[in-house]
Amino acid sequence: MRNPWTRTGNYKTSYAQDTTIFATYSEQASLVVFLIGMLVLPRFLSRGDMQILDLILIYALAVLGLNIITGYAGLINIGHAAFLGVGAYTAALVAPYLPFWLVLPVAGLVAAVAGAVVGIPALRIKHLYLAIATLAFQLIFEWAVGHSPALEQGGAMAMPRVVFLGYKVGFKNHHYFWYYVTFVVLVIMAFGFRNLLRTRFGRSLVAVRDNDRAADAMGMDPGRTKVFAFALGAFYAGVAGALYAYWSRAVVIEDYSLMISIKFLAMAIVGGLGTLVGSFFGPAFLELLDINMETFSYWIKEIYNPPGVDVGSAIRPLAFGLAIVLFLIFEPRGLANWWRLLRSYFRNWPFKY
Amino acid sequence: MKNKWTLWALAAVLAMGFAAAEKVHIMWSGAITGPTSDAGKYYAQGIEDYCSWANDTGYVAGVEFVCETRDDQYNNANTLRNFEEAVDRGDPVFLGYSTGGTLQLKPLVQEVGVPFIPASYHIGNIDPPDNDYIFLPIASYSEQVIAVLEYIAKVSPGAKVAMAIHPSPFGRAPVEDAKKAAQDLGIEIVEVQEMAKGLDYTATLKRFENKGVDYIVYQNVAGPVANMIKDAKRLGLKIKHAGAHYAGGPDLLRLAGDAAEGFLWVTAYYMPHEDNAAAKFVKELGAKYGRPADTIESVHYPSGMLAAGIAIEAIKEAKDAGKKISAQSVYQALLQMNWPNKLAVGPVTYSKDDHVGVDQLRVLEAKNGTFEPVTEPFSSALFRKVHYGK
Repeated sequence: MRNPWTRTGNYKTSYAQDTTIFATYSEQASLVVFLIGMLVLPRFLSRGDMQILDLILIYALAVLGLNIITGYAGLINIGHAAFLGVGAYTAALVAPYLPFWLVLPVAGLVAAVAGAVVGIPALRIKHLYLAIATLAFQLIFEWAVGHSPALEQGGAMAMPRVVFLGYKVGFKNHHYFWYYVTFVVLVIMAFGFRNLLRTRFGRSLVAVRDNDRAADAMGMDPGRTKVFAFALGAFYAGVAGALYAYWSRAVVIEDYSLMISIKFLAMAIVGGLGTLVGSFFGPAFLELLDINMETFSYWIKEIYNPPGVDVGSAIRPLAFGLAIVLFLIFEPRGLANWWRLLRSYFRNWPFKY
Repeated sequence: MKNKWTLWALAAVLAMGFAAAEKVHIMWSGAITGPTSDAGKYYAQGIEDYCSWANDTGYVAGVEFVCETRDDQYNNANTLRNFEEAVDRGDPVFLGYSTGGTLQLKPLVQEVGVPFIPASYHIGNIDPPDNDYIFLPIASYSEQVIAVLEYIAKVSPGAKVAMAIHPSPFGRAPVEDAKKAAQDLGIEIVEVQEMAKGLDYTATLKRFENKGVDYIVYQNVAGPVANMIKDAKRLGLKIKHAGAHYAGGPDLLRLAGDAAEGFLWVTAYYMPHEDNAAAKFVKELGAKYGRPADTIESVHYPSGMLAAGIAIEAIKEAKDAGKKISAQSVYQALLQMNWPNKLAVGPVTYSKDDHVGVDQLRVLEAKNGTFEPVTEPFSSALFRKVHYGK
């Protein structure tokens, strides 16, 4: 008999049961506990810690979008930071006139339109050629912003200070406020991501990724599916871009450069391509790695600092590169696979079978 | 009785211990790795050494400086994190770096009211809005470019000039001012070319030649400038080259070799090979703290020193005025600063309406592998007119 609290075997008898989000009540309960934990977490963290946590959550939202495009649909995207930038610049333009909760979806929608346009080449090209098309979008975006007086030619566009229900957001509460906003947005959009595969569009994405000819033969439209993937992934990025704009208080082109696009790809790979939890693990791992390496590099500099050779400073980029290479070699499925193995272990413990 | 005196002596020693130097933190956030780290690493060393010198000589009585140079890798998010950490700790002043990072932080700097001294001399840093707390150590890029145009107009009246700029706010900032100044000076800016990260500028240079360009004025960093002037030499062009602070300097000589000969460079810093107090000071500090020759030769090393020097001088003035060292007291000290420093060609002066430290500049020319001054220190005659309409 199926136990609703633990999964001791596969007792699924219908397709609907096979596509449920939560297999057991304990999974639901653990999620509720996790969400409550996240809601009370700011009580125990300093303002500086909150700043880092906010950044991880915003990047997680962006990586969710990248995982739709690259992880689910298998379309290599080297221009994801540009989608983020479209959202951020949209936010900078409309934020003086709209409340922030309206700015976020507007930024997402504008980025989605940009995503659909970028996805059009996907109707005819794929693999490396498509990657270059996304790279072209990244470069066009940077050039266009750099030559637009309306966008300060890539200089800073300040975001207005937010007042929400009489609550004025200033220096002291800035990161706490944006934590809760980002958290709520992230939970909603993560549920959207998780549910995507339960829809026919989501299944089309994976089918097209695995074999677009077979998907075509089964009645799916690979071209439209790819454009849809770009639009949806860009929507996530656009919302993340608007949040980033509010979080950083100003929009500057350097925050949406090719290097950031590569960083997002690294986060997706390290976290685990095409996985929900990987979208959280990747940004958290790489951001915390960088901060800890920074601290480590200062420690190294204290004890060993030969003139002319900045050993300490070299450690940070070295660690970033090394982490990616090691993951590609030894764990290409990313940290999400470790999480899966851990869960499997506890699912079978102690000797359920 | 003897025990009584011993106790008094012990109490005095303890009191001295408790009244030990007040620790004042100064943080710099800049690129020690990543883009523009070729300048950032020397700038950081300049800050570190000037701080060490201030501590070692007891420059500010009762104050021990704890200077941290943070590598933000030219990443604005890291700069933001570092700045907020400094603000949370109560640092009285912050040393910044890039144009983008400074521009992004402008509203926050204004909100928290902590004086901010960037390594970027972009005029937008001190233009309104949110410009009360940002102080440039030397004249802006815009002023530098206009100063070199004034020199060109003097030595080559009616010259045709092309501008080769970095594709960023840093690069583009002086363009409009330069165009206005050129009109007043009777010289012509025939083209403004943003420099891609290419290694071959043949097409650009040939186009400049066809347009009869006499001078190319660079607002860029030394790497791409070196590539372009090497290409110009390879093509045998007679075009002369000139550039603002980050375009030239010993880095350009190292990268471009003899192709840099004749390059006109405008900056406010003295050169280490000159026979003056600045060069002596820089060399002494470099030797004292074990810096290699390339650090001592780099113009970014004294640039870092000057930034740290301005911060330390403001703290000293606040302390001398009997005020508690804080962001506000340092800000007030900066507004009244008139510091005849050793490192640049003029005094560092600020006021409420003037956030440019050293207003004077010199034009130097690359001759036999070094930059030699070809002008006395001067202030641009036109900059304020074209930029502020004054």
